[in-house]
Amino acid sequence: MKGKIGGKNWKKLVSNNSALISFIVLFILSIMLKGTMFLSVSNIVNILRNNSIIGIIALGMTLIIITGGIDLSVGSQLAILGVVVITVFNSTQNLLLAAISGAVAAIIFGVITGILVAKCKIPAFIVTLGTMNIYRAVSQYLLNGGGLRAAGTSSEAYTFISNSNLFGIIPMPIVYWIICVIIIALIASNTAVGRHIYAVGSNEKASKLSGVDTTKVKCFAYTISALLVCVATIVETSRLGSINSSSSGTSYEMDAIAAAVIGGTSMAGGKGKILSTVLGTLTLGIINNMMNLMGVNSFLVGAVKGGIIIIAVLLQMVLNKE
Amino acid sequence: MSDYIVNMQGIEKSFGSNQVLHGVDFLLKQGSIHALLGENGTGKTTLMNILTGILSKDGGNITVDDKENNCIAFIHQELTLVNDLNVYENLFLGCELKKQGHLDKRSMYEKATEILMKMEIELDPNTKVEDINASYKQVVEIARALMKNAKVIIMDEPTSSLTNVEIDHVFTLMRGLKKQGVSFVFISHKLNEVLEICDEYTVMRDGCVVATGEVDQTVTEASLAKHMVGKDLSYDDLYIEREIGPDIMRVENLEREREFEDINFHIGSGEIVGFTGLLGDGRSEIFNTVYGCNKDYKGKIFIGGKECIMHSTGKAQKQKISYLPRNRKENGIIKDLSVGSNMSISILERFKSLLFVDKKKEKTFVDEYVGKLNIKVADTKDLITSLSGGNQQKAILAKAISSNPKLVILDNPTQGVDIGAKLEIYEIIMKLAQQGVSFVVLSSEAQEILMLCDRLYVLFHGKVKKELTRKEANEENIMILATGGNLKEA
Repeated sequence: MKGKIGGKNWKKLVSNNSALISFIVLFILSIMLKGTMFLSVSNIVNILRNNSIIGIIALGMTLIIITGGIDLSVGSQLAILGVVVITVFNSTQNLLLAAISGAVAAIIFGVITGILVAKCKIPAFIVTLGTMNIYRAVSQYLLNGGGLRAAGTSSEAYTFISNSNLFGIIPMPIVYWIICVIIIALIASNTAVGRHIYAVGSNEKASKLSGVDTTKVKCFAYTISALLVCVATIVETSRLGSINSSSSGTSYEMDAIAAAVIGGTSMAGGKGKILSTVLGTLTLGIINNMMNLMGVNSFLVGAVKGGIIIIAVLLQMVLNKE
Repeated sequence: MSDYIVNMQGIEKSFGSNQVLHGVDFLLKQGSIHALLGENGTGKTTLMNILTGILSKDGGNITVDDKENNCIAFIHQELTLVNDLNVYENLFLGCELKKQGHLDKRSMYEKATEILMKMEIELDPNTKVEDINASYKQVVEIARALMKNAKVIIMDEPTSSLTNVEIDHVFTLMRGLKKQGVSFVFISHKLNEVLEICDEYTVMRDGCVVATGEVDQTVTEASLAKHMVGKDLSYDDLYIEREIGPDIMRVENLEREREFEDINFHIGSGEIVGFTGLLGDGRSEIFNTVYGCNKDYKGKIFIGGKECIMHSTGKAQKQKISYLPRNRKENGIIKDLSVGSNMSISILERFKSLLFVDKKKEKTFVDEYVGKLNIKVADTKDLITSLSGGNQQKAILAKAISSNPKLVILDNPTQGVDIGAKLEIYEIIMKLAQQGVSFVVLSSEAQEILMLCDRLYVLFHGKVKKELTRKEANEENIMILATGGNLKEA
């Protein structure tokens, strides 16, 4: 079918890449409005770095939404994992041990959510609404609602994780993001469990009858998401040097869901692409950045962002219509 | 006013580069039942979708002789009822009766009762649709079309999920409506029904009309089948005598509350065993349990002589059992995946190299089975929903037989499949049985069971009524047993 782009094929091309198209439109618009300032290397690097954490979390969110679920607890997970990681780090001064304990906690969170959703058949929205409150409350209890600094002799090594550059120019958070994107994209498109994630989201009953262990698949999705949140936690706490039990991670779940949805992930499950979620994250990032550059009142940024989310999804639905 | 209520001339339609209708003419007389026949994917449904305006035509003329709009109702093969609503709420969906701004539930209920009574169907309009079985869902669909005063009703395989008694009801109803001037287009693969109910027929093959005329003495099932396939067909020499090996599965006293009880059967290796009965006989439920979908069953399941506790479908797959479920849309196809992915979903592990699925190996497998089962598909990367019903069925059959199973459970294996494809599916089953694969065939079509099976069990109300050998079984026997009667000892 190559080289024969006309009529229907053209339409198919557009609807398959609607996330890319809305991203490009926004990108060109930004250049037109704030050309040199927007395109400067420092600004572009800035956008990428500032969105790497949401970008990492959104990858897991995409997998979960493809299975037909949702995870509202990712922001609170970030707070409680931050408490775990920094507490372990402060008492042992061992980076690896801190990371492993965070990962173990993440796996436990993921499996618990997965079992509650898949085995006990409680809607994912309800389960994660519950865990969201639990994680946040427990971390606030542990830190008395305040924060915790990474301290001790090796604390510089801890902050080095995110506050260093690859080749002297690329901030490490961006590198971590890219690595996560590659891994998750490979899982989604090239592994059996990846295919099963799409199958379960599209038709759970038929998948089960085909011998797919739907509980395992869902647990896998929630666990991978929690592990990605753990990576995001380390990146974030390293960058700031601390965790705050009350403010860290608040509303990250909404940004992650928005990124996945702008990227064309279907809330009904079964459809979505990892690379489109990356575009969705960048779309959100550019909107934030442009508001900033244009000096829009910071209280209004949310309103504009919300409006653009709706417009982006509306655009995709129009493009996807046959 | 002409004789014809619908007059379609030279209809053309293409999807992309694929032309599916080549100048089709279709004439429908007022007050007649017109059979539209043809194999899957020959464009019958497309033609009807053009008639109802769901699709636009690329060329040709349509005249519909009626002053009112919306006089054509299309009852689709895949039902479009809302499961969470009542029967009468479904009937009035989108045209609810109102009284001073409120829903007039009483009048709706009464009118629904009236229509169902006219159809001689015993059904409380207050029943939730999810609680009624597939046959009644079809009845509700027909009632909905009647309620809108449709002058032309298109029925796409209306009887495929109905029992014989219900089919008779529907046919009586159709004859009654015919007298009142309602016309029907009857799309079906059951040729005996066509001969029974239809006045005229049109046979399509590959997007063209190959035969049309009145249903009279000269028209037989064989002659219609010949037009459809383009060659002579014979079911007779399909069955092949085989040596049956030792039992591969034995089930003792299987029981599940409110579904079935006291179920005992055994299946030899290389044997084709049929389970038949009327709707609600529990056969699908029994094999759902055997396949590991339900944990709370009583009784014993032995596989290869060892007792197995069947608690998950994954376990069944490991025991080399595979399952082709009934109700393709709900249980069979995974709609967002491609044709290829649907076929390979059960056996992805086999294509694993290191961590990843080797897509070349997968493609080789998919292409092999597309060839073996003669699946008509442009590109195996296309969505499964782009295929016609029969080809979808073949694709999920490929999924069931590709995992090198020892036992394949086929529930209604030829639902919505045309004669040619049906025969192909039977041949595949027979060939695999010769190689020692065992089959369980669940079907309410006696013909199908008689054609394939070495032995069969007739079920009635969740119990095994009688076991019959191939020699003992005939259509009459099966019908008597399935309706709860007993055979006279010879």
